[in-house]
Amino acid sequence: MSSVVSLSSVRREYTLGTNTTVALDDVTLDIAAGEFVAIIGPSGSGKSTMMNLIGCLDRPTRGLVSVAGYDVADLDDDALTSLRSQAIGFVFQQFQLLPRTSALDNVATPLLYQGVKQREARQRAEEILTMLGLSDRLDNDRTQLSGGQQQRVAIARALVTNPALVLADEPTGALDSTTGRQVMDLLKDLNRAGRTVVVITHDANVANYADRQIHLLDGRISSDQRTKVTA
Amino acid sequence: MNLFASFNLAISRIMATKTRSILTMLGIVIGVASLVALMSVAQGATSGISNALSGLGAKQITVSGTSATGLVEDDVTALSMLPYVESTYSQVSGQGTASTGKVDVSLSLVGVSPNYASMALPKIAVGSFLPSSLPMQASRDVVLSAVAANDLNIKVEQIGQIIYINGQPFQLVGVLNDANGFGARGIAYVTQDAARKIFAQTPYVSSITLQSTTETDVAAVTTEADTLLRGRYGLSATDSAQFMVTSQTSLLSTLSTVQNTLKLMLGGIASISLIVGGIGIMNIMLVSVRERTREIGVRRAIGARQRQILVQFLIEAVVLSVLGGFIGLVLGELAAYFVAKAGGWAFTISAGTVGLALGFSALVGIVFGVVPARTASKLQPVEALRFE
Ligand SMILES: Nc1ncnc2c1ncn2[C@@H]1O[C@H](COP(=O)(O)OP(=O)(O)OP(=O)(O)O)[C@@H](O)[C@H]1O
Ligand SMILES: [Mg+2]
Repeated sequence: MSSVVSLSSVRREYTLGTNTTVALDDVTLDIAAGEFVAIIGPSGSGKSTMMNLIGCLDRPTRGLVSVAGYDVADLDDDALTSLRSQAIGFVFQQFQLLPRTSALDNVATPLLYQGVKQREARQRAEEILTMLGLSDRLDNDRTQLSGGQQQRVAIARALVTNPALVLADEPTGALDSTTGRQVMDLLKDLNRAGRTVVVITHDANVANYADRQIHLLDGRISSDQRTKVTA
Repeated sequence: MNLFASFNLAISRIMATKTRSILTMLGIVIGVASLVALMSVAQGATSGISNALSGLGAKQITVSGTSATGLVEDDVTALSMLPYVESTYSQVSGQGTASTGKVDVSLSLVGVSPNYASMALPKIAVGSFLPSSLPMQASRDVVLSAVAANDLNIKVEQIGQIIYINGQPFQLVGVLNDANGFGARGIAYVTQDAARKIFAQTPYVSSITLQSTTETDVAAVTTEADTLLRGRYGLSATDSAQFMVTSQTSLLSTLSTVQNTLKLMLGGIASISLIVGGIGIMNIMLVSVRERTREIGVRRAIGARQRQILVQFLIEAVVLSVLGGFIGLVLGELAAYFVAKAGGWAFTISAGTVGLALGFSALVGIVFGVVPARTASKLQPVEALRFE
């Protein structure tokens, strides 16, 4: 089983003036292809820091991070961007749809950055939005969509490049419980279809959707449990 | 992301903040408008003047007496022998009256030598000009300027009839088409021999016109003529003389000095407003980068490279300033059109002006857009995403 993400003795410090905060300390972790992992922990435990490292948005202070077989330390900014673009789909807590941009163009944008022609990008975006039940919301921008719809557009945007790894940071944080469940069901379906999914949450109910729960406390892994054996 | 998509994005951003964008463009609009107006007016005026000078005018040198007895007929003969002088004519002028029997007017009288017709090329409205062959020189024929004909209330059928110049009968042979505008005094042209009999004292002439072989000889002939006349009247090069030697070329050079000063002034205004406009664009782009920090973070996360962010913001700055430049171009050409109408020369839109206007505004956009665009592209994705 090949690992999609591998952290080994990773430490991430933030320095503000003379103060140094250790957000992650000595974290070692492997996530295999096809896993559905929840990273869970209280506020300030280092979840977002970990997500940024796994998502190639940030680099560790010490230790090794490798994603899709690449050692992040070996990659310059452009190569890191390429890796994000090819291998990772992000779902953010606040949806983070682009302002004054239609749902369709939001979903097409990652493809445009890959150099896909606008017509093809829009076509692929439309397909995926239709799949997620948003075929009648293509031209709406974020102010014209409900929270649940926005999150589905965000998930469509994360999936359009067909990434190996979907990273979701508090994907239900801004949603009511019913809509939150729908979003988690959607992520579960994606995982069943073979994609690796990592969800970051402080909510035990959300974590229960996952096959594996990794608990963080004060920047360290306090437990790592498989609730189900992956195929 | 290709250029077309970036361009569309830039347009939609600019449209989303319309008022702000228009205010930002204002500096560029003013800068380019004054640049365009300046260039068009300068070009129009120059072509107007050189049109007036093309043809025989450009080859001619005028020697005019500053007093009634300044020049004599022998000066004409002497000047006509100068090298590179192709032909010569002289004029005598004075004041007098003309009468049809019904209407009396006072006007200027000009007696012209035979070469006048071929060198000054007077435009005839009706009839013909004065005869130029020598035996006819003493003929009592007269040609009236348009103003004089109008003042005397001359009808076409009166061509060939007798009118009275200073009380003497002359045959009216033609009327000129030389509308000089309101208030100009009428002129009656007669042959020089006739002029001698009725108003001009022998042997004085009022002015002498020389035509050089080519335009390049004008300067040499001007100097030679001055030297020759000074020699004839025993004057040194620095003495004040009773004559003046001028050419249209020397007039043109004075004019072009004035024009250059004007160009420099307007050019100064244009470049200052372009710089101010550029700073305005830089400022608004920096504001925009701040406002859109989170968006930049999202774009970086979903696969935008630094270069793609840079190009995006640069295109936005350039579109903003070229749009301003285009508006300025239209306003500037409009101003130039009205100036051309007022100045009486042909209005043309030159490709050079259009190119320069759009080129300059694009350059301003690039120069002042680089700093904000670099700022945007250098944002760290994680920090940009956390930005509130
Ligand atoms: N950019 C930063 N500069 C300084 N300190 C930071 C920065 N980012 C995070 N930290 C610190 O690192 C620690 C871990 O932060 P992190 O955001 O990873 O927590 P989290 O588990 O995501 O919390 P939450 O559930 O509230 O989102 C916290 O103490 C936080 O203050
Ligand atoms: Mg967090």
